[in-house]
Amino acid sequence: MNAPDRYERFVVPEGTKKVSYERDTKIVNAGSFTIEREDHTIGNILRMQLHRDPNVLFAGYKLPHPLQYKIIVRVHTANQSTPTQAYTQAINDLDKELENLKQAFEDEKTRYDERPKQGY
Amino acid sequence: MERAGGGGASYQRFPRVRIRELRDDFAKFELRDTDASMANALRRVMIAEVPTVAIDLVEIEVNSSVLNDEFIAHRLGLIPLTSAAAMSMRFSRDCDACDGDGSCEYCSVEFHLAARATDSDQTLEVTSNDLRSTDPKVCPVDQARAYQHALGGSEPFDTAAAADQRQLPFLTFPFPFHEGILIVKLRRGQELRLRAIARKGIGKDHAKWSPAATVTFMYEPEIRINEELMETLTLDEKRNLVESSPTKVFNIDPNTQQVVVEDAEAYTYDDEVIKKADAMGKPGLIEINAKEDSFIFTVETTGAITAYELIMNAITVFRQKLDAVRLQDDDGDLGELGAHLVGG
Repeated sequence: MNAPDRYERFVVPEGTKKVSYERDTKIVNAGSFTIEREDHTIGNILRMQLHRDPNVLFAGYKLPHPLQYKIIVRVHTANQSTPTQAYTQAINDLDKELENLKQAFEDEKTRYDERPKQGY
Repeated sequence: MERAGGGGASYQRFPRVRIRELRDDFAKFELRDTDASMANALRRVMIAEVPTVAIDLVEIEVNSSVLNDEFIAHRLGLIPLTSAAAMSMRFSRDCDACDGDGSCEYCSVEFHLAARATDSDQTLEVTSNDLRSTDPKVCPVDQARAYQHALGGSEPFDTAAAADQRQLPFLTFPFPFHEGILIVKLRRGQELRLRAIARKGIGKDHAKWSPAATVTFMYEPEIRINEELMETLTLDEKRNLVESSPTKVFNIDPNTQQVVVEDAEAYTYDDEVIKKADAMGKPGLIEINAKEDSFIFTVETTGAITAYELIMNAITVFRQKLDAVRLQDDDGDLGELGAHLVGG
Protein backbone atom coordinates (compact mmCIF):
# COMPACT_ATOMS: atom_id res chain seq x y z
CA MET A 1 0.00 0.00 0.00
CA ASN A 2 2.76 2.41 0.85
CA ALA A 3 5.15 0.78 -1.59
CA PRO A 4 7.08 3.33 -3.64
CA ASP A 5 6.35 3.38 -7.36
CA ARG A 6 8.49 0.94 -9.29
CA TYR A 7 9.67 3.59 -11.71
CA GLU A 8 11.34 5.47 -8.86
CA ARG A 9 14.30 3.21 -9.49
CA PHE A 10 15.09 4.78 -12.83
CA VAL A 11 13.20 8.04 -13.27
CA VAL A 12 15.00 11.09 -11.92
CA PRO A 13 12.56 13.00 -9.70
CA GLU A 14 11.59 16.47 -10.89
CA GLY A 15 13.80 19.23 -9.58
CA THR A 16 16.74 16.87 -9.06
CA LYS A 17 19.85 16.98 -11.19
CA LYS A 18 21.00 13.76 -12.87
CA VAL A 19 24.64 14.56 -12.15
CA SER A 20 26.03 16.94 -9.57
CA TYR A 21 29.63 17.65 -8.71
CA GLU A 22 30.97 18.56 -5.34
CA ARG A 23 34.58 19.57 -4.81
CA ASP A 24 36.55 18.17 -1.96
CA THR A 25 37.03 20.75 0.76
CA LYS A 26 40.56 19.73 1.66
CA ILE A 27 42.26 18.33 -1.43
CA VAL A 28 42.72 20.23 -4.68
CA ASN A 29 41.70 18.47 -7.87
CA ALA A 30 39.47 16.06 -6.00
CA GLY A 31 35.74 15.76 -5.73
CA SER A 32 32.77 13.48 -6.12
CA PHE A 33 30.05 13.19 -8.69
CA THR A 34 26.64 12.13 -7.48
CA ILE A 35 24.74 10.40 -10.26
CA GLU A 36 21.04 9.93 -9.64
CA ARG A 37 19.22 6.75 -10.69
CA GLU A 38 22.28 4.83 -11.85
CA ASP A 39 23.93 1.69 -10.51
CA HIS A 40 26.91 -0.62 -10.99
CA THR A 41 26.40 -0.67 -14.76
CA ILE A 42 27.55 2.94 -15.08
CA GLY A 43 29.55 3.15 -11.86
CA ASN A 44 31.95 0.32 -12.53
CA ILE A 45 32.61 1.10 -16.17
CA LEU A 46 33.24 4.77 -15.39
CA ARG A 47 35.65 3.86 -12.65
CA MET A 48 37.58 1.47 -14.89
CA GLN A 49 37.73 4.00 -17.71
CA LEU A 50 38.99 6.68 -15.29
CA HIS A 51 41.75 4.29 -14.23
CA ARG A 52 43.04 4.29 -17.79
CA ASP A 53 43.76 8.01 -17.52
CA PRO A 54 47.29 8.50 -16.08
CA ASN A 55 46.26 11.91 -14.69
CA VAL A 56 43.72 10.23 -12.45
CA LEU A 57 45.30 9.47 -9.09
CA PHE A 58 42.18 7.95 -7.62
CA ALA A 59 38.83 6.88 -8.98
CA GLY A 60 36.23 4.87 -7.13
CA TYR A 61 32.48 4.54 -6.93
CA LYS A 62 29.99 3.42 -4.35
CA LEU A 63 26.33 2.60 -4.19
CA PRO A 64 25.64 4.03 -0.72
CA HIS A 65 22.45 2.08 -0.08
CA PRO A 66 20.46 -0.38 -2.20
CA LEU A 67 17.27 1.63 -1.69
CA GLN A 68 18.84 4.98 -2.53
CA TYR A 69 19.00 4.86 -6.28
CA LYS A 70 22.20 6.81 -6.77
CA ILE A 71 25.92 6.28 -7.05
CA ILE A 72 28.83 8.43 -5.96
CA VAL A 73 31.94 8.53 -8.14
CA ARG A 74 34.97 10.01 -6.44
CA VAL A 75 37.86 11.28 -8.54
CA HIS A 76 41.23 12.74 -7.64
CA THR A 77 43.50 13.94 -10.42
CA ALA A 78 47.00 15.27 -10.87
CA ASN A 79 47.57 18.99 -11.41
CA GLN A 80 47.47 18.75 -15.20
CA SER A 81 43.82 17.76 -15.09
CA THR A 82 40.64 18.27 -13.10
CA PRO A 83 38.03 15.73 -12.00
CA THR A 84 35.46 17.25 -14.36
CA GLN A 85 37.89 17.03 -17.25
CA ALA A 86 38.76 13.41 -16.50
CA TYR A 87 35.09 12.55 -16.05
CA THR A 88 34.04 14.07 -19.35
CA GLN A 89 36.98 12.46 -21.11
CA ALA A 90 36.06 9.05 -19.69
CA ILE A 91 32.49 9.36 -20.97
CA ASN A 92 33.67 10.52 -24.38
CA ASP A 93 36.06 7.59 -24.65
CA LEU A 94 33.43 5.08 -23.59
CA ASP A 95 30.97 6.51 -26.07
CA LYS A 96 33.51 6.22 -28.86
CA GLU A 97 34.34 2.69 -27.80
CA LEU A 98 30.67 1.74 -28.00
CA GLU A 99 30.25 3.44 -31.36
CA ASN A 100 33.17 1.36 -32.49
CA LEU A 101 31.73 -1.80 -31.01
CA LYS A 102 28.44 -1.22 -32.80
CA GLN A 103 30.24 -0.87 -36.11
CA ALA A 104 32.30 -3.96 -35.34
CA PHE A 105 29.11 -5.93 -34.71
CA GLU A 106 27.49 -4.77 -37.93
CA ASP A 107 30.59 -5.67 -39.95
CA GLU A 108 30.86 -9.02 -38.22
CA LYS A 109 27.21 -9.79 -38.92
CA THR A 110 27.72 -9.09 -42.62
CA ARG A 111 30.75 -11.35 -42.61
CA TYR A 112 28.86 -14.03 -40.70
CA ASP A 113 25.86 -13.93 -43.06
CA GLU A 114 28.07 -14.23 -46.10
CA ARG A 115 30.24 -17.05 -44.82
CA PRO A 116 30.26 -20.26 -46.86
CA LYS A 117 27.28 -22.22 -45.65
CA GLN A 118 28.66 -25.70 -46.17
CA GLY A 119 30.50 -27.59 -43.51
CA TYR A 120 29.16 -25.52 -40.68
CA MET B 1 41.04 27.20 -17.96
CA GLU B 2 40.61 24.64 -20.61
CA ARG B 3 37.12 23.40 -21.30
CA ALA B 4 36.48 20.04 -19.74
CA GLY B 5 37.05 17.20 -22.15
CA GLY B 6 38.48 19.45 -24.82
CA GLY B 7 41.90 18.51 -26.09
CA GLY B 8 42.50 15.79 -23.50
CA ALA B 9 44.29 12.67 -24.63
CA SER B 10 42.06 9.77 -25.53
CA TYR B 11 42.26 6.46 -23.72
CA GLN B 12 39.75 4.77 -25.96
CA ARG B 13 39.82 1.06 -26.75
CA PHE B 14 38.92 -0.66 -29.97
CA PRO B 15 37.14 -3.91 -29.14
CA ARG B 16 36.97 -6.72 -31.67
CA VAL B 17 34.05 -9.09 -32.18
CA ARG B 18 33.71 -12.51 -33.73
CA ILE B 19 30.32 -14.15 -34.05
CA ARG B 20 30.44 -17.91 -33.65
CA GLU B 21 26.79 -18.65 -33.94
CA LEU B 22 23.79 -16.48 -34.61
CA ARG B 23 20.21 -17.63 -34.75
CA ASP B 24 16.95 -15.81 -34.14
CA ASP B 25 16.94 -16.31 -30.41
CA PHE B 26 20.51 -17.37 -29.75
CA ALA B 27 23.93 -15.86 -30.19
CA LYS B 28 27.43 -16.87 -29.22
CA PHE B 29 30.26 -14.45 -29.82
CA GLU B 30 33.75 -13.50 -28.73
CA LEU B 31 34.52 -10.03 -27.46
CA ARG B 32 38.18 -9.06 -27.32
CA ASP B 33 40.42 -6.10 -26.48
CA THR B 34 38.23 -4.66 -23.76
CA ASP B 35 37.84 -5.31 -20.05
CA ALA B 36 35.40 -7.00 -17.72
CA SER B 37 33.65 -3.75 -16.85
CA MET B 38 32.55 -3.36 -20.48
CA ALA B 39 31.52 -7.01 -20.77
CA ASN B 40 29.56 -6.84 -17.54
CA ALA B 41 27.91 -3.53 -18.38
CA LEU B 42 26.74 -4.98 -21.69
CA ARG B 43 25.41 -8.05 -19.93
CA ARG B 44 23.57 -5.98 -17.35
CA VAL B 45 22.06 -3.68 -19.96
CA MET B 46 20.90 -6.64 -22.07
CA ILE B 47 19.13 -8.21 -19.09
CA ALA B 48 17.64 -5.19 -17.39
CA GLU B 49 17.50 -2.17 -19.67
CA VAL B 50 16.63 -3.13 -23.22
CA PRO B 51 12.94 -2.30 -23.66
CA THR B 52 10.23 -4.70 -24.80
CA VAL B 53 6.45 -4.70 -24.77
CA ALA B 54 4.48 -6.75 -22.24
CA ILE B 55 0.94 -6.80 -20.91
CA ASP B 56 0.75 -4.44 -17.95
CA LEU B 57 -2.90 -3.51 -17.39
CA VAL B 58 -5.70 -6.06 -17.41
CA GLU B 59 -9.38 -5.30 -17.16
CA ILE B 60 -11.31 -8.47 -16.44
CA GLU B 61 -14.90 -8.51 -17.67
CA VAL B 62 -15.80 -12.08 -16.82
CA ASN B 63 -13.68 -14.61 -15.02
CA SER B 64 -15.31 -17.78 -13.80
CA SER B 65 -12.18 -19.87 -14.18
CA VAL B 66 -10.42 -21.50 -11.24
CA LEU B 67 -7.63 -18.92 -11.26
CA ASN B 68 -8.22 -15.56 -9.64
CA ASP B 69 -8.01 -12.29 -11.58
CA GLU B 70 -4.55 -11.21 -10.46
CA PHE B 71 -3.16 -14.68 -11.11
CA ILE B 72 -4.36 -14.45 -14.71
CA ALA B 73 -3.10 -10.87 -15.05
CA HIS B 74 0.32 -12.03 -13.90
CA ARG B 75 0.36 -14.93 -16.37
CA LEU B 76 -0.63 -12.60 -19.20
CA GLY B 77 2.21 -10.27 -18.31
CA LEU B 78 4.77 -13.04 -18.66
CA ILE B 79 3.82 -13.89 -22.26
CA PRO B 80 6.58 -12.61 -24.55
CA LEU B 81 5.26 -10.23 -27.21
CA THR B 82 7.03 -9.31 -30.46
CA SER B 83 8.85 -6.13 -29.56
CA ALA B 84 10.81 -5.05 -32.62
CA ALA B 85 8.94 -1.74 -32.40
CA ALA B 86 9.68 -1.19 -28.70
CA MET B 87 12.79 0.93 -29.24
CA SER B 88 10.76 3.56 -31.10
CA MET B 89 7.75 3.43 -28.78
CA ARG B 90 7.24 5.78 -25.83
CA PHE B 91 7.11 4.86 -22.18
CA SER B 92 3.56 5.59 -21.16
CA ARG B 93 4.76 7.60 -18.16
CA ASP B 94 6.26 10.19 -20.50
CA CYS B 95 3.73 9.96 -23.30
CA ASP B 96 2.11 13.33 -24.03
CA ALA B 97 -0.67 11.95 -26.17
CA CYS B 98 -2.52 10.03 -23.49
CA ASP B 99 -1.39 11.22 -20.03
CA GLY B 100 0.06 7.78 -19.46
CA ASP B 101 -3.24 5.96 -19.09
CA GLY B 102 -2.21 3.56 -21.81
CA SER B 103 -4.73 4.36 -24.48
CA CYS B 104 -2.77 5.69 -27.40
CA GLU B 105 -0.86 4.14 -30.27
CA TYR B 106 2.50 5.66 -29.25
CA CYS B 107 2.83 3.89 -25.96
CA SER B 108 0.42 0.99 -25.79
CA VAL B 109 -1.24 -1.87 -27.61
CA GLU B 110 -4.64 -3.24 -26.69
CA PHE B 111 -5.45 -6.95 -26.53
CA HIS B 112 -8.76 -8.73 -26.22
CA LEU B 113 -9.44 -12.22 -25.05
CA ALA B 114 -12.75 -14.01 -24.98
CA ALA B 115 -13.05 -17.72 -24.33
CA ARG B 116 -15.89 -19.87 -23.08
CA ALA B 117 -15.97 -23.60 -22.62
CA THR B 118 -19.06 -24.91 -24.30
CA ASP B 119 -21.11 -27.73 -23.00
CA SER B 120 -18.88 -30.46 -24.30
CA ASP B 121 -16.97 -32.47 -21.73
CA GLN B 122 -13.63 -31.34 -23.13
CA THR B 123 -11.50 -29.02 -21.05
CA LEU B 124 -10.81 -25.83 -22.97
CA GLU B 125 -7.24 -24.62 -22.92
CA VAL B 126 -6.97 -20.85 -23.16
CA THR B 127 -3.59 -20.01 -24.63
CA SER B 128 -1.68 -17.03 -25.97
CA ASN B 129 -3.22 -17.87 -29.35
CA ASP B 130 -6.58 -16.62 -28.05
CA LEU B 131 -5.18 -13.13 -27.50
CA ARG B 132 -6.34 -10.75 -30.21
CA SER B 133 -4.02 -7.82 -30.79
CA THR B 134 -5.14 -4.46 -32.18
CA ASP B 135 -1.69 -3.87 -33.66
CA PRO B 136 -0.26 -6.50 -36.03
CA LYS B 137 3.29 -5.49 -35.07
CA VAL B 138 2.77 -6.60 -31.47
CA CYS B 139 1.46 -10.08 -30.76
CA PRO B 140 2.53 -13.15 -28.76
CA VAL B 141 5.78 -14.50 -30.19
CA ASP B 142 4.44 -17.95 -30.97
CA GLN B 143 1.53 -16.43 -32.88
CA ALA B 144 4.03 -14.50 -34.98
CA ARG B 145 5.94 -17.70 -35.68
CA ALA B 146 2.86 -19.63 -36.62
CA TYR B 147 1.82 -16.80 -38.91
CA GLN B 148 5.18 -16.78 -40.66
CA HIS B 149 5.02 -20.52 -40.93
CA ALA B 150 1.55 -20.36 -42.50
CA LEU B 151 2.79 -17.82 -45.02
CA GLY B 152 5.16 -20.51 -46.21
CA GLY B 153 8.10 -18.30 -45.48
CA SER B 154 11.25 -19.76 -44.12
CA GLU B 155 10.71 -20.83 -40.58
CA PRO B 156 12.38 -18.24 -38.40
CA PHE B 157 13.41 -20.75 -35.81
CA ASP B 158 13.35 -24.47 -36.31
CA THR B 159 13.54 -26.03 -32.88
CA ALA B 160 14.33 -29.50 -34.11
CA ALA B 161 17.22 -28.37 -36.29
CA ALA B 162 18.51 -26.10 -33.57
CA ALA B 163 18.38 -28.86 -31.03
CA ASP B 164 20.23 -31.09 -33.43
CA GLN B 165 22.91 -28.46 -33.95
CA ARG B 166 23.40 -27.91 -30.25
CA GLN B 167 22.88 -31.56 -29.46
CA LEU B 168 20.38 -30.80 -26.78
CA PRO B 169 17.77 -33.53 -26.91
CA PHE B 170 15.42 -31.73 -24.51
CA LEU B 171 14.82 -29.05 -27.10
CA THR B 172 13.04 -31.42 -29.45
CA PHE B 173 9.55 -30.61 -28.28
CA PRO B 174 7.05 -33.37 -28.84
CA PHE B 175 4.46 -30.76 -29.84
CA PRO B 176 4.47 -28.17 -32.61
CA PHE B 177 5.70 -24.76 -31.52
CA HIS B 178 2.51 -22.94 -32.55
CA GLU B 179 0.32 -24.43 -29.89
CA GLY B 180 0.59 -21.34 -27.77
CA ILE B 181 1.39 -20.62 -24.16
CA LEU B 182 -1.17 -21.93 -21.73
CA ILE B 183 -2.93 -19.24 -19.69
CA VAL B 184 -5.73 -21.15 -17.96
CA LYS B 185 -7.89 -24.25 -18.46
CA LEU B 186 -11.68 -23.88 -18.49
CA ARG B 187 -14.20 -26.45 -17.46
CA ARG B 188 -17.64 -26.79 -18.99
CA GLY B 189 -19.54 -23.51 -18.62
CA GLN B 190 -16.57 -21.45 -17.39
CA GLU B 191 -15.72 -18.25 -19.16
CA LEU B 192 -12.89 -15.76 -19.41
CA ARG B 193 -13.28 -12.36 -21.04
CA LEU B 194 -10.86 -9.50 -20.65
CA ARG B 195 -9.17 -6.46 -22.12
CA ALA B 196 -5.43 -6.07 -21.68
CA ILE B 197 -3.06 -3.22 -22.38
CA ALA B 198 0.54 -3.93 -23.26
CA ARG B 199 3.13 -1.25 -22.61
CA LYS B 200 6.76 -0.63 -23.17
CA GLY B 201 8.98 -1.29 -20.19
CA ILE B 202 12.39 -2.51 -19.04
CA GLY B 203 13.53 -5.51 -17.03
CA LYS B 204 14.65 -3.30 -14.15
CA ASP B 205 10.99 -2.44 -13.60
CA HIS B 206 9.69 -6.01 -13.82
CA ALA B 207 11.32 -9.14 -15.20
CA LYS B 208 8.43 -9.65 -17.64
CA TRP B 209 9.95 -6.87 -19.74
CA SER B 210 13.36 -8.50 -19.94
CA PRO B 211 14.10 -9.68 -23.48
CA ALA B 212 16.90 -11.89 -22.21
CA ALA B 213 16.44 -15.50 -21.21
CA THR B 214 20.17 -15.94 -20.57
CA VAL B 215 23.10 -13.62 -20.99
CA THR B 216 26.41 -14.91 -19.72
CA PHE B 217 30.05 -14.33 -20.42
CA MET B 218 33.18 -16.21 -19.46
CA TYR B 219 36.84 -15.34 -19.61
CA GLU B 220 38.62 -17.20 -22.34
CA PRO B 221 40.97 -19.70 -20.67
CA GLU B 222 44.57 -20.03 -21.77
CA ILE B 223 45.90 -23.50 -21.03
CA ARG B 224 49.61 -24.26 -21.12
CA ILE B 225 50.97 -27.77 -20.72
CA ASN B 226 54.59 -28.19 -19.66
CA GLU B 227 55.44 -30.83 -22.28
CA GLU B 228 58.84 -31.56 -20.80
CA LEU B 229 57.36 -32.38 -17.40
CA MET B 230 54.46 -34.21 -19.04
CA GLU B 231 56.89 -36.62 -20.71
CA THR B 232 57.94 -37.84 -17.26
CA LEU B 233 54.44 -39.21 -16.70
CA THR B 234 53.41 -42.76 -17.46
CA LEU B 235 50.38 -43.36 -19.64
CA ASP B 236 48.34 -44.33 -16.56
CA GLU B 237 49.30 -41.13 -14.81
CA LYS B 238 48.30 -39.18 -17.89
CA ARG B 239 44.93 -40.91 -17.92
CA ASN B 240 44.43 -40.08 -14.25
CA LEU B 241 45.28 -36.47 -14.91
CA VAL B 242 42.90 -36.21 -17.87
CA GLU B 243 40.13 -37.80 -15.85
CA SER B 244 40.63 -35.53 -12.84
CA SER B 245 38.94 -32.70 -14.68
CA PRO B 246 35.16 -32.81 -14.10
CA THR B 247 34.57 -31.47 -17.60
CA LYS B 248 36.20 -32.86 -20.73
CA VAL B 249 39.00 -30.33 -21.14
CA PHE B 250 41.89 -32.68 -21.91
CA ASN B 251 42.34 -35.85 -23.88
CA ILE B 252 45.08 -38.24 -24.83
CA ASP B 253 46.13 -38.34 -28.43
CA PRO B 254 45.70 -42.01 -29.43
CA ASN B 255 48.73 -41.90 -31.74
CA THR B 256 51.33 -39.96 -29.82
CA GLN B 257 49.92 -40.68 -26.34
CA GLN B 258 50.39 -37.02 -25.50
CA VAL B 259 48.01 -35.05 -23.32
CA VAL B 260 46.27 -32.52 -25.53
CA VAL B 261 43.73 -29.76 -24.84
CA GLU B 262 40.49 -30.96 -26.35
CA ASP B 263 38.14 -28.16 -25.38
CA ALA B 264 39.64 -25.27 -23.45
CA GLU B 265 36.25 -23.60 -23.02
CA ALA B 266 34.82 -26.60 -21.19
CA TYR B 267 37.06 -25.59 -18.29
CA THR B 268 35.03 -24.22 -15.39
CA TYR B 269 37.96 -22.73 -13.45
CA ASP B 270 37.61 -25.52 -10.90
CA ASP B 271 41.41 -25.98 -10.42
CA GLU B 272 40.94 -29.77 -10.23
CA VAL B 273 43.67 -30.68 -12.75
CA ILE B 274 46.08 -28.27 -11.10
CA LYS B 275 45.43 -29.84 -7.70
CA LYS B 276 45.87 -33.26 -9.29
CA ALA B 277 49.21 -32.26 -10.80
CA ASP B 278 50.35 -30.95 -7.40
CA ALA B 279 49.21 -34.18 -5.74
CA MET B 280 51.22 -36.16 -8.29
CA GLY B 281 54.27 -34.18 -7.24
CA LYS B 282 54.44 -32.30 -10.53
CA PRO B 283 53.57 -28.69 -9.74
CA GLY B 284 53.57 -26.48 -12.84
CA LEU B 285 52.59 -29.36 -15.10
CA ILE B 286 49.54 -27.45 -16.26
CA GLU B 287 49.01 -23.73 -16.05
CA ILE B 288 45.64 -22.16 -16.70
CA ASN B 289 45.07 -18.43 -16.94
CA ALA B 290 41.93 -16.45 -17.64
CA LYS B 291 42.60 -13.92 -20.40
CA GLU B 292 41.59 -10.64 -18.83
CA ASP B 293 40.60 -8.99 -22.08
CA SER B 294 38.83 -11.78 -23.93
CA PHE B 295 35.26 -12.91 -23.32
CA ILE B 296 32.89 -15.49 -24.71
CA PHE B 297 29.28 -14.39 -24.59
CA THR B 298 26.19 -16.56 -24.74
CA VAL B 299 22.92 -14.73 -25.40
CA GLU B 300 19.47 -16.27 -25.48
CA THR B 301 16.32 -14.21 -25.89
CA THR B 302 12.70 -14.87 -25.00
CA GLY B 303 11.78 -14.34 -28.65
CA ALA B 304 10.50 -10.80 -28.05
CA ILE B 305 13.39 -9.53 -30.15
CA THR B 306 16.12 -11.39 -32.00
CA ALA B 307 19.48 -11.99 -30.36
CA TYR B 308 21.13 -9.62 -32.81
CA GLU B 309 18.55 -6.92 -32.06
CA LEU B 310 19.15 -7.46 -28.36
CA ILE B 311 22.88 -6.86 -28.72
CA MET B 312 22.47 -3.81 -30.95
CA ASN B 313 19.72 -2.31 -28.79
CA ALA B 314 21.87 -2.88 -25.71
CA ILE B 315 24.66 -0.83 -27.27
CA THR B 316 22.20 1.92 -28.21
CA VAL B 317 20.62 1.99 -24.75
CA PHE B 318 24.03 2.01 -23.13
CA ARG B 319 25.12 5.00 -25.20
CA GLN B 320 21.94 6.83 -24.21
CA LYS B 321 22.72 6.11 -20.57
CA LEU B 322 26.24 7.46 -20.96
CA ASP B 323 24.88 10.54 -22.66
CA ALA B 324 22.52 11.12 -19.75
CA VAL B 325 25.34 11.14 -17.21
CA ARG B 326 27.36 13.81 -19.00
CA LEU B 327 28.00 16.94 -17.00
CA GLN B 328 25.70 19.76 -18.00
CA ASP B 329 27.37 23.07 -18.81
CA ASP B 330 25.86 24.80 -15.83
CA ASP B 331 27.19 22.47 -13.16
CA GLY B 332 30.65 20.93 -13.16
CA ASP B 333 32.63 23.22 -15.41
CA LEU B 334 31.31 26.60 -14.36
CA GLY B 335 30.95 25.47 -10.77
CA GLU B 336 34.66 24.78 -10.69
CA LEU B 337 35.47 28.07 -12.38
CA GLY B 338 33.15 29.91 -10.00
CA ALA B 339 34.78 28.28 -7.03
CA HIS B 340 38.20 29.30 -8.30
CA LEU B 341 37.03 32.89 -8.63
CA VAL B 342 35.55 32.95 -5.16
CA GLY B 343 38.52 31.19 -3.64
CA GLY B 344 40.83 33.76 -5.24
